[in-house]
Amino acid sequence: MTDQELNELDENLFSVRKSIDLTMENSRFFRSEGNLISLELTKEDGEIETFERIVPVRAFPLSDPDEFISIREPESKEKGKGAEIGFIRRLSDFDADTVALLNEELDRRYFIPEIKKINSLKEKFGYCYFEAETSAGKVSFVMSNPMSNIRILEDDSVLMTDIDGNCFSIHDPLKIDKASYKKIEIYL
Amino acid sequence: MLPLEKSYDELYAILEANSMNKDDFVVALHLDLDTNECFQSMWLAITADAKTLWRFNAKDNSAESFDLDYVSAPYVDNFMTTNRMLALLHKDKIPSREEGEADEDYKKRLHQYHKAKDTETIILCCGTNSIKRRLFAFITIWERIVRGETVSEDDPLFEQFNAKCPKCGTVYPDQNRKICENCANRKGTLIRLLQYFKDFKFQFTLVIICMLLSSAVSLSSPFISGKILYDQVIAQPTYDESGTQITGLLHEEKYVYIVVGLIVGLALFSLGIGILQNRANAYMSTHVTKNMKNYVFDAMQRLSLSFFNNNSTGRLINRVNYDATRIRSFYIDGLPHLVINVVNFIGVAVFLFILNWKLTLIVFIPVPIIVCIFKIMLPKLWRSFSHVYRRSSSLNSMLGDSLNGVRVVKAFAKEAEESARFYEFSTKLFEANLRSNIISLMIFPVVGLLIGISSTAIWGVGGIEIMEQRMTYGELTTYIGYTGMIFGPLNFFSTFTNIITDTINSSQRYFETIDMIPEIADDPEAVTLDEVKGSLTFDKVCFHYVPNRPILKDVSFEIKAGQHIGLVGHTGSGKTTIANLITRMYDVISGSISIDGHEIKKIKIDSLRKNIAIVSQEIYLFRGTIADNIRYARPDATMEEVINAARAANAHDFIMRLPEGYETRIGIGYRTLSGGERQRISIARALLLSPSLLILDEATAAMDTQTEKLISEAIDKLVEGRTTITIAHRLATLRNSDILMAIEDGEIAEMGTEEELLAKKGVYYKLWTLQTEQMKQVAEGR
Repeated sequence: MTDQELNELDENLFSVRKSIDLTMENSRFFRSEGNLISLELTKEDGEIETFERIVPVRAFPLSDPDEFISIREPESKEKGKGAEIGFIRRLSDFDADTVALLNEELDRRYFIPEIKKINSLKEKFGYCYFEAETSAGKVSFVMSNPMSNIRILEDDSVLMTDIDGNCFSIHDPLKIDKASYKKIEIYL
Repeated sequence: MLPLEKSYDELYAILEANSMNKDDFVVALHLDLDTNECFQSMWLAITADAKTLWRFNAKDNSAESFDLDYVSAPYVDNFMTTNRMLALLHKDKIPSREEGEADEDYKKRLHQYHKAKDTETIILCCGTNSIKRRLFAFITIWERIVRGETVSEDDPLFEQFNAKCPKCGTVYPDQNRKICENCANRKGTLIRLLQYFKDFKFQFTLVIICMLLSSAVSLSSPFISGKILYDQVIAQPTYDESGTQITGLLHEEKYVYIVVGLIVGLALFSLGIGILQNRANAYMSTHVTKNMKNYVFDAMQRLSLSFFNNNSTGRLINRVNYDATRIRSFYIDGLPHLVINVVNFIGVAVFLFILNWKLTLIVFIPVPIIVCIFKIMLPKLWRSFSHVYRRSSSLNSMLGDSLNGVRVVKAFAKEAEESARFYEFSTKLFEANLRSNIISLMIFPVVGLLIGISSTAIWGVGGIEIMEQRMTYGELTTYIGYTGMIFGPLNFFSTFTNIITDTINSSQRYFETIDMIPEIADDPEAVTLDEVKGSLTFDKVCFHYVPNRPILKDVSFEIKAGQHIGLVGHTGSGKTTIANLITRMYDVISGSISIDGHEIKKIKIDSLRKNIAIVSQEIYLFRGTIADNIRYARPDATMEEVINAARAANAHDFIMRLPEGYETRIGIGYRTLSGGERQRISIARALLLSPSLLILDEATAAMDTQTEKLISEAIDKLVEGRTTITIAHRLATLRNSDILMAIEDGEIAEMGTEEELLAKKGVYYKLWTLQTEQMKQVAEGR
């Protein structure tokens, strides 16, 4: 095998995209026709690469949602292997439109509806059946073992995980209405 | 309509509103989010001719359609809690298969077409994790019907949505909650707990009788010392207006001895029944705790591997230890005291009213205030207790973490930081403790003061009553004796609700484990295999650990008895999963695996696992002697067999060099063995089982070359005449294989002998060239 052949093989087996620091200058995000996000990336050598669709991911989704955002290829057979295209150090360095565009997508990705009101909470056979009004509309969900699935985070907000792994939050349990608070009080 | 959803009623109503015919559709999926990710009932449906995909919104019955000639490659973008189904919308029609075109060629052409740049990704639907499994099944059905395959109602794909109760065979009404309405224990948790005391009826009754007796004694003692000893014995005889003698009826010296003797006797009696009660209690409670711990441990042993992957060891240990103890203490310290306190409270209240109802009203004045204080302050106190509990458990976790990682701590010289971290946690715990102490110090002195004031008030009011001869002095002391007894039960009732909540929580966790149904259980018609030859068949096996990441996709292959198979592939390509499926650590999602023509689901798990041995990279040796570890799977093996197995595993020599030979104790706290030594013991363990089917999962990956050589010699002896599946990264490990299988992306990319695969110039060829080139480079010193 010649060196060249070997290099080709190496590239085939271990081809890894090199992540680029994304800035206002080298990247342009825009909405795709399918209502997703596209990216036009100008590389160092001036070559322009267009991604029909990118996936933004937060490195610190809980503590630092605005910084360290990874822009990745989608993970599908046709559109990429999920490799990192580039990295945004601070989202607010971009213009307002881009920030809004990416944040809208990011907020959907980290979908944790905020509970505004608990309409009913019943317990049967060890499962809790919730009916609640959230920031994303009315919902009913089921929770097992509420003692371990209702967690109080460092900032005193409440994170609830239901039986399917869906999450709901209560930003400040003392601020929701009294009737709702009474229903979950024993679990806090 | 295929049985993907439990009910299609809502969809049928929408179809009617759109004047569509439900018979035109073959399958539909219910969604709980709209495309803007707000909770909204939506439907996706595919027409029977597989030409159109419809999306309906239940809010306004609106409908949108997608032409499946232009939309393809559906896939799911899995977010933290939501799933978005995307697909490609093409400008030109999707190529269909041409007459006589080979499968592979068509696939290539299709792939080429999909890679084209002018396709647009569109959002088809969104859903929360609740619909995740059905979403993936829907995609599978979509792909199948578009390929022209028919999907029938009894397709194995639907089995995952129709799990049945193993007891009565009815399909669970809710698949996520494996609770059978027929078989679920309808008794309340607390009643159900009583069953553990069933064998201790005698002790239990004895305890209750003792408590009732001691309560009778304590209720009678103020009466005896006040009304009898003082009024009738000590006091001078007095008479009321009508001349009836009120006091001094027994004003003689001998009665002093008799009554005092009676009081002392009662005290001794009370002491005696106290001892009796405690003995019965101790006997019963230790037995009950022991039994409860045994039951829950048994229940855990029955459960499948996935249960242990989802629950941390610490939590499980807590379940066995803490929860059982907590429940026991409710029945020992909680329930009997409830009975006693209720009896005492009623008895005392009745006596108080009989003795003097006016005074009693004074006694009860502070009661509402005390109840109010309890009602307001106690929840605060409980919350502060739960703070203490949570902080002390995080302190424990930190402690455990730091001590377990002590090697890392020392290696990075982080001792000071760890101490600082510990101070931080202990300070937090201190603060929580302080707060809860302050609260309790606020409640109880105030309550004590109120009680004090009312008791003092009784002396005042009672004194006037005596002076006006409406009451005797003995009556007043009896009375005051009883008032002291009324606040005890009150205090108990206020803490009791907390005990109850605590117990119910513990028991729910306890019964959750006891009632949990193992995911993998013996089929009622399962057979025992006596002799296994070792032929193995995979038929269209699909598997995933989480629905959005398929690990194996329609994997089919056949291994003849005695063949040696080598499995190669990248990390995460599904090699170890194959081993897990053969041993039924997990069950296939669809498809089947058979050994000697028997589907493994129809073989008793016991007999299946006795015929298969796995030697993996992950070795666990139990605390105990080397001999015990080798014969773990076959405790009846003779020492001769153990030694022969150890010899065959090349372990005999190093074992004999240890001072205590085969009796050397290993495990934490005892002798530590090197990785290679441990591996050889685990091989000896597998050898002793003498399995018909042997799986070697990266058994030598972590060893140096010399040790690997020793071990592979051992393995070569092990595999003779057995069906063997060897999983390895290093191709050299596979040199003895008859057939090699290369796995890529959950599919078998290639299968054949080494020569065949090298000639194919595919995945195996690439790996082979790479590894040999690397070796060459090392040899040439580049």
